[in-house]
Amino acid sequence: MSARTSRIDLSEIGNRPRDLLAIVLAAAVVGYICWAISQSPQQALQFTFNGLSVGAIYALLAVGFTLVYSTVWFFDLYYGAAAAIGAYGIFYLRSGEALGGQYQVNDPTVNVVFALVTAGVAFWALRELYGRRLRDRFGRRSALGLEAFVGGVLGAYMGVVLAWPGDLNVIFAPAIGLTTLAAVAWLVRAAAGKLTMRTDRSGFAVASVIVGAAMGVVVGVALANAGGSRLYLSWVVACLLAGMVGLAFYRGLYVQIIRRTNSRLIMLVASLGVLLALTALTIIVFESAPRPLPEAFGSAPWQVGGATIKGFNVFAIGVAIAAFVALLLLLKRTSFGKSVRAIGDDEEVAKVVGINTTVVIAIVFFIGAVFAALAGVLNGHDTAIQPRMGLIMLLKGWIASVVGGIGNLYGAIVGGFALGLIEQFGIWNLAGEWKDVVSFVVLILFLSFWPNGLLPRR
Amino acid sequence: MSLITQAMRGLRASGPLRGIPRANVERIATILVLVWAVGFMLWQGAGFTITLTTVFAIWAILAVSLNLVVGFTGLLSVGHIGFFGIGAYTMAILASDASYDQLRTESIPTPDWPFFAALPIGIAIAGLVALGVGVVFNRFRDDIFVLVSFGFAIISFSFFLNLRELTRGAFGIHEIPRPAFGGWVLDGEVEFLAFALVCLALVVLICWLIVTSSFGRVLTAIREDEEAIAVFGYRVTHFKLAVWVLSAMMAGLAGALFASWTSFIDPNSFILLESMLLTAIVILGGLATIWGSLLGALAFVLLEEGMRFLPFLPPEFVGQARQVVLGVLLVVLMLFRPQGLVGRYQL
Repeated sequence: MSARTSRIDLSEIGNRPRDLLAIVLAAAVVGYICWAISQSPQQALQFTFNGLSVGAIYALLAVGFTLVYSTVWFFDLYYGAAAAIGAYGIFYLRSGEALGGQYQVNDPTVNVVFALVTAGVAFWALRELYGRRLRDRFGRRSALGLEAFVGGVLGAYMGVVLAWPGDLNVIFAPAIGLTTLAAVAWLVRAAAGKLTMRTDRSGFAVASVIVGAAMGVVVGVALANAGGSRLYLSWVVACLLAGMVGLAFYRGLYVQIIRRTNSRLIMLVASLGVLLALTALTIIVFESAPRPLPEAFGSAPWQVGGATIKGFNVFAIGVAIAAFVALLLLLKRTSFGKSVRAIGDDEEVAKVVGINTTVVIAIVFFIGAVFAALAGVLNGHDTAIQPRMGLIMLLKGWIASVVGGIGNLYGAIVGGFALGLIEQFGIWNLAGEWKDVVSFVVLILFLSFWPNGLLPRR
Repeated sequence: MSLITQAMRGLRASGPLRGIPRANVERIATILVLVWAVGFMLWQGAGFTITLTTVFAIWAILAVSLNLVVGFTGLLSVGHIGFFGIGAYTMAILASDASYDQLRTESIPTPDWPFFAALPIGIAIAGLVALGVGVVFNRFRDDIFVLVSFGFAIISFSFFLNLRELTRGAFGIHEIPRPAFGGWVLDGEVEFLAFALVCLALVVLICWLIVTSSFGRVLTAIREDEEAIAVFGYRVTHFKLAVWVLSAMMAGLAGALFASWTSFIDPNSFILLESMLLTAIVILGGLATIWGSLLGALAFVLLEEGMRFLPFLPPEFVGQARQVVLGVLLVVLMLFRPQGLVGRYQL
């Protein structure tokens, strides 16, 4: 008994200065914010809003980092490039009309490269997910041929999308129509099965395909007629591209490195090489000067309670929150999420249990890169884009994930918003360019005193 | 069994790689780079060679000093450019001859010191900053150390850009003098090159002394197993701090040389990407060998200058193309040879 109490005492003595410091710092922060609000409520409102809209972007990046970090335990520096790819994807697709064609870029090499990446990823996905079934039914050679054919068709489709982005709504309508068909058909079939509890479902299948096809046609036609949707379709394409490149890097590069050595630092250096090469390639294709993105809706400022608010920023926060909710649902409600958590706990055991870890981690990389690209897109619409934007966003996302607690998804979201707010209030009386310094100080404070972050992992 | 591994194995068994044991890669890489260097010099003639060698000397000082931290102590830092920049800016601020009142912006104090008065101050300030930063950074390891050093590079750039009263921000500082011994100013390129090479030799000598001493062996032990060496009674933090400060001081020297050589600096020379390139050079050349860093810096300089003569490459993209090649090389090396060309240690 006495030994136990003494141990507790010892640990408390060891922690006391740190706890005291935490309390003092937290009190100082709260006091400072109260002082700031009392000084000028309008400015406080303005900064809160700015902090939230920047924080949404940081949180998106931090979620991407955390997702990957909690499965493979390394920080993928590719996300810096993914943010730039997302933003420049929009620029590439929409440079034709929206900016008066001033900076029109359409590089055949870029189209071919991304078409090849798409083809490769589609081929890989088909092979990993349906390969065995296809082999059993058609035999080895024709299964391979079929996979290659589908991959080739999808790659060519992506090539067409990239080469003629002017009519993106028309080109993309069939894809969206087919997706709608699949989704509606699946939904109808599942719902009908649940409602009637019948095991024989062939009639339902036909009915659901008919309903789905009808919906798909309606959606496709509506899309093809809506010219204004091109910008948002470009978002989808750009995020998809960045995600697929991330997946390709995981499958083509990181898996090889993990197989050879199990050192996280080697993977980090390899991803540093990826980041260097991709940043330089972006500069070669698009030049290093900043470029504007086409106006998204809601670029006109509103006045709310003395603060100037851009409608787009509200929309950006909404998009980010929707993305978080979708991701959390995916991770908490599906078997995929279960396997992600299993891999995070112990990859070897997950493998033994029969989880295809390569596929699951590849999808995690895909999702992470999509989130980073989305952050890049939102940031790009808010300010101008430049090839090196990814580096600073990388740092901020990294800091946000540390602030929230490395490896905790909720932590990453909270950390992103917290970092955005701290940054804004930290430069209360300073010029805006010092906010990087503020976030660095936050990073050092958290690493030194609360290395587990706001919401520690378990 | 992956395709690449199979292909490599097949190549090794039957193709041109047969008969080349792995250890010989070092010798072949060394010979290749040296032959390339000599050939390039013969092709380009003396004038260009002098410029090239000066650039090489500055990069080599940086690479050798960074290798002390990354290779010998095992702390993967991507923030070394910060100390380089501190050295350069101290030299520029203290030694610049320019009178800024003519130049429409707010004036900065220009003490107009000679080179050799500003040099020790620059080195000392780089060391002091490293001491302060190092005390904080010392507790971090592995990827967290990468993160904070990454942050340090961005922050130092932010200071160079935004402390306008001191650094004149994006305008940069002009008219930084060359070193002068009494009345003998090293204005000529050859004289300056000789001076830079002397500095490089000095740095290499210091590093060699550090590495071969018992101090260096403790560093290696820290890299291999920090807890074990701490059990033996060595104060790990002190050793790490000492080598960090020494390395930063050498980087400060390189910065002072750079400022004096170009006679104009602005924050764009000290961006994060340059810092990443520097780390890439060190890893590329080989961790934990001084010779490796020299080789890496030489290969890097030759790469850039060699690319200027590629007919299909527009001149404004030379730097980017170099960066692409370096990034790809880094990835390939991490796959097949994680210790770098002539390295003795892998991360």
